Amino acid sequence: MKDDAPNQALPDLVFHVLLALGQGPTHGYAIGKDVEEQSAGRLDPTTGALYQVLRRLADEGLIAPVSSPDEVDPRRKYFALTKAGRRAAAQEAERLAALVRAARQRKLYPQRA
Amino acid sequence: MRIYRCLLRLSPLSLRRDYGAAMEEMFARRMADAARSGAWRRAYVLCRELAGLLVLAMSERFGTTARMRRRRQQLLSGPKAGMMDVIAQEIRQAARRLVRTPLFTTTAALTLALAIGANASLFTVVYRVVLKPLPYPDSERIIALDYGIPARNLASGMNSMAWQLYYQLADQARLLEGIAVYDSGATTLTGRGEPERIRVTRATPSLGSVLRLSPAHGRWFTEAEGVPGAAPVAVLSHGLWVRRFGSDRSIVGRSIALDGVPTEVIGVMPARFSFPDSRSDVWTAARSTRASASFLFNLNGVARLRDGASVESARAEITALIKDLSRRVPNQTGLVSAAVTLQEAMVGRIANALWVLLAAAGLVLLVACANVANLFLVRSETRQREVAVRRALGAGGRAIARYFFSESVLLAASGGALGLALAWGGVRLLVAFGPANLPRLDEVRIDSVVLLFAAALVLVSAAAFGLIPLLRVAPVAATLHEQGRGQTATRGSHRARQLLMGGQVALALILLIASGLMVRSFQALRAIDHGFDPSATLTFSIGLPAATYPTRQAAVDVHRRILEGVSQVPGVSGASTSTCLPLAFICFGNGLFVDGEAEDLTRPIAIVGFRAVAGGYTDVMRMPLLRGRSLGRDDIDRRESNVVVNKALAQAYFPGQDPIGRRIRSSRMGTPWLTIVGIVANTPTVAPGERAPTAQLFMPMSIAGGPDIPREALIGPDVTIMNYVVRSSLPSSSLVTAVRRAIDNVDPNLAISQVRSLQDVVDRASDQTSFTMVLLAIAATVALLLGAIGIYGVISYIVAQRTGEIGVRLAMGAEPRTVARMILRQGGMVTLLGIVAGLIAALAGSQLIRSLLYGVSPRDPIVFSLTTVALLVIALLACWLPARRASRLSPLLALRAE
Repeated sequence: MKDDAPNQALPDLVFHVLLALGQGPTHGYAIGKDVEEQSAGRLDPTTGALYQVLRRLADEGLIAPVSSPDEVDPRRKYFALTKAGRRAAAQEAERLAALVRAARQRKLYPQRA
Repeated sequence: MRIYRCLLRLSPLSLRRDYGAAMEEMFARRMADAARSGAWRRAYVLCRELAGLLVLAMSERFGTTARMRRRRQQLLSGPKAGMMDVIAQEIRQAARRLVRTPLFTTTAALTLALAIGANASLFTVVYRVVLKPLPYPDSERIIALDYGIPARNLASGMNSMAWQLYYQLADQARLLEGIAVYDSGATTLTGRGEPERIRVTRATPSLGSVLRLSPAHGRWFTEAEGVPGAAPVAVLSHGLWVRRFGSDRSIVGRSIALDGVPTEVIGVMPARFSFPDSRSDVWTAARSTRASASFLFNLNGVARLRDGASVESARAEITALIKDLSRRVPNQTGLVSAAVTLQEAMVGRIANALWVLLAAAGLVLLVACANVANLFLVRSETRQREVAVRRALGAGGRAIARYFFSESVLLAASGGALGLALAWGGVRLLVAFGPANLPRLDEVRIDSVVLLFAAALVLVSAAAFGLIPLLRVAPVAATLHEQGRGQTATRGSHRARQLLMGGQVALALILLIASGLMVRSFQALRAIDHGFDPSATLTFSIGLPAATYPTRQAAVDVHRRILEGVSQVPGVSGASTSTCLPLAFICFGNGLFVDGEAEDLTRPIAIVGFRAVAGGYTDVMRMPLLRGRSLGRDDIDRRESNVVVNKALAQAYFPGQDPIGRRIRSSRMGTPWLTIVGIVANTPTVAPGERAPTAQLFMPMSIAGGPDIPREALIGPDVTIMNYVVRSSLPSSSLVTAVRRAIDNVDPNLAISQVRSLQDVVDRASDQTSFTMVLLAIAATVALLLGAIGIYGVISYIVAQRTGEIGVRLAMGAEPRTVARMILRQGGMVTLLGIVAGLIAALAGSQLIRSLLYGVSPRDPIVFSLTTVALLVIALLACWLPARRASRLSPLLALRAE
């Protein structure tokens, strides 16, 4: 396994979760909804799958549970992006952007209007 | 939600602690979202979420997912592959291998799902009904009191207590902490809406301490409320409280009318409480004193054992106390306590049937495992080379074990998950279609114990078929060498497959025999002489409102006018009415005194069911008249004190004598004498074909009870509610219309209820047998089907393996018929051995099913021979199809296939 981590792609679902948290702290149900919308329905993780990713990301310090501002249901858990999380998301976006640039250069993708 | 929470428990504690509540909340919101899009969407989301949870639990417990592991290595740069990671990788690879062979995977998973689902749903019923303690505190110390008189062969279990005994035991039994007696009946609830017939249980106040009751609102009875003259009080069931009183808490302290008697409501029981069964709507305090106590066995008794007392010791003490009683009361005969735990008394009858069904499901699981093991064997055969390569490259025994085991575990787990979904539906079906007399049915549901059971099944079955390929790991060199000719499988693998095939035949035969015996029992029950003719009859019940018909005479008159009207309906050959139909229990029971014999209330008296009837009742029912005559219209009109008794009564009270012309009377004080004019055959009161028929007598309705007859003068049942029997060959729909019109002509305000045929009544009563029979038949069919597929698969495989050899034989001039016979002989031998093993096991196990059978020996030769022949035919057919294919092989093609 190589050690030059920055060039590694983030798993699809992980990137979407980070993306969902880009708008600010929110809870599992809203993250699930955002992931489904942003991926146009391609990704629709079950509660179990979503929380597995959330837990992993929290363990790795990419996101952190924050105190719940929710008064509707105290069971809800809120998550926010950490600095490391922002960095990871930015790297992934950079990687994707680089791919898009390459696609443009090779005329696989329309130029900016 | 409950399922989700249960499944959540499978995942690691740390995850559950941090995120469990949040996940539940999210799940609930998703379900709410899905519910808005309809039931199908809801079911889809539910399945998906549950599956997701299972995946989460498995991967969290057994490893990390690929992408997250990579991610972590990237972040933490500690690329240590732990044991868990290796296993996770193994499982992932196994999953990929399984996905690559969809036919094998689907077949195996579905087979397992079917078997595990059947086991889990039956286990749910067994666990909830038989194993789980009754919902009363320390319920294992509650016993149901029961007595027998071995010398007089008196049936026990129907009514188990008398007031005399109650006081005797309450005063003197030292092993009993408390004792209570109760009986159940019906009462009319009036006021606040329509009058309603409800089930009432009259119990001594001590029932509260024996069961350790705590009402949801208000209180239970006090001792002072259990004596004659105390103000009437009642405790409502939760169901009645919600249905009738709109969950109004202020009902406590207010008055309701039961049978017209103002009764104060003092409490409401919790929703989950039921006693003696879930039909009880209201409890009232039974009133009695030591002075008025009789020795009439018309009550049920429960008691609570003291700490350290066993049921056996309590039985011995009670028997000794009754003996003591018999010294003081000379006429007493040997009463023996037959007390059992309340749980056993409630579910004992059905427990046996449920265990047999669970055993049957277990056998189906074995057959299914054998089938899947077979599939695995075939698969492992094709894997030999791959495994050999792995071993040659240095994979140890454990790695190989993981290789096979990961597949079987994964397969069993997915089969188990699917099976649980099936069980979820299966339990609902069982509850919906289970016999109405199955006790505690309302408590049946899937819980965490059932989930654990299913998980255990998954592990056991995974071990059962996962180990088989392991035994078949051949030496490396030999396998890698094995090529070209000699593709016939090794002797060992043949033997393993044949063993599995023989086992399947044996198991299928056992199940076939069991279900065959149940079918024969069912037939015997259907063909039984009930003592009446249930065919071509319509029955319905009419209750007369007391306001319009305030006297017995008014009630009798209107019943007679209705009968006249109904009899004139074209196509009706007879009509009559009775207070109690067969199979409707005792209804109205009393003891009996015989003219010329000592009247001793302290003597145990066999209970007699009293029925008030209209003229010609026994004729319309076609109850065989054994002696004398039946009651006619004249007996009713002239209020003659004539009665017809059944054979059981004649035998119990007039052994060896002629009862015709003898006089009897109810054991209630001061009731008039009745003259016996006829004897009819016995009819069942509880179940068709009951071994100890109840004594019954039929009296003219004009001398029985009515609204204006005081309780003290009551010699027979109240005639305001009567069950009509109409004999006609008309289709029931048009008959009901015509009957309704005839009743309208008399009084259009009368409601008729419980419209059904007598055959229906009989069928309902044999529900339990038919339920057992249907489930066993399903189990046997599934086993037979799986077994046949298994046999077919094995023989086909053998044929495929021997294609080359067969080709050579054919090329050398062997007759195609000889080839077919060779294959057939091979399959036939194994089948025969399996049948012999199955027959031996069925004979040995036949005692287990004896108590479920009726009118058929557990070793019934007809069942044994028919099922054996049927299985043999099916097995040989399954062998013959591949054998025929073998014989039709073209030698050229067969040899080229090499």
